[in-house]
Amino acid sequence: MNDMKKSDEQIAREAKALFDASVDELDAATLSTLNQGRHRALEEARSPRGDLLRWVPAAGVAAAVLVGVMVTLPGQGPIEVMPTAVADMEILLGEDSLEMFEELEFYAVLDVIDESDDVG
Amino acid sequence: MSTATATYAVSWASEQSTGTRALQQEQQLNRFLAEVERRALRIAEIGVRDRDDALDLVQDAMIKLVRKYGDRPSTEWTPLFYRILQNGVRDWHRRQAVRNRVMVWLGRGASPDDEYDLVAAAPDPIGRSPDEELQNSEAMVSLEAAVQALPARQREAFMLRTFEGLDVAGTAIAMSCSQGSVKTHYSRAIHSLRETLGEHGPEGSEDE
Repeated sequence: MNDMKKSDEQIAREAKALFDASVDELDAATLSTLNQGRHRALEEARSPRGDLLRWVPAAGVAAAVLVGVMVTLPGQGPIEVMPTAVADMEILLGEDSLEMFEELEFYAVLDVIDESDDVG
Repeated sequence: MSTATATYAVSWASEQSTGTRALQQEQQLNRFLAEVERRALRIAEIGVRDRDDALDLVQDAMIKLVRKYGDRPSTEWTPLFYRILQNGVRDWHRRQAVRNRVMVWLGRGASPDDEYDLVAAAPDPIGRSPDEELQNSEAMVSLEAAVQALPARQREAFMLRTFEGLDVAGTAIAMSCSQGSVKTHYSRAIHSLRETLGEHGPEGSEDE
């Protein structure tokens, strides 16, 4: 029965065929986004380097929002996040975390509104 | 011709030559990226299970490749590009883990919107008969789920070797590991996929 099994090469070939079909079926909007992204990448490469400076404000905002969230939320001291904080801070203050902080800030604002409603 | 004029002429010619080389290099990079971008997107998408995030990762990889390695020989671009992309995917997973920890700490938990729907995310089939569409779509969904279930390093080795067609040496560069490790990860990945997908492996679109 063993010879009925597909060989590694066959499995790889069939997987590749399925993958290639899924690549061919990418929709026009996605292809357009890829095309724009490629041109943007080539343009950015032509422009003077400013990537480090570009993220200084973002990292500052991220740090400020983190502190804000920690202070704003009732009954949740920053002490609870400290065990993982060292490992996580690098990511939390990384250049791609701004969106997450905006989300957290939104939740913090919601909590404040909920509290106000409860009091009122 | 005076010495000053000769110097200017040499300098001008040198600038022209540099400009032409830069333009040629940019055109070469453009062709390379255009050739690799769609497969890279699907590979990243399988890695992170989100097309928008995958698009961001691919664009970041493009920018970093052009900036850091644009002047390297074009034969090195493919493994370097995928090394950048795989690092991006790994960082994405680390960020997600931190994000989830923070959300749990805030008592939010994971949003139902974050759950990945393989069927909904499957690409729209084009130019195939309904039967072929269904068969391919189902087979790709199964394959994608099986590849996603692999441990990260096995998934990387399998996708780079099989989907992108990198050789062992290129995959080792892309994964920042030894060629022996690539062979081990790849072999284990194939074994796992055979187990997951059944003895007959993926079935669907092979034109044989």
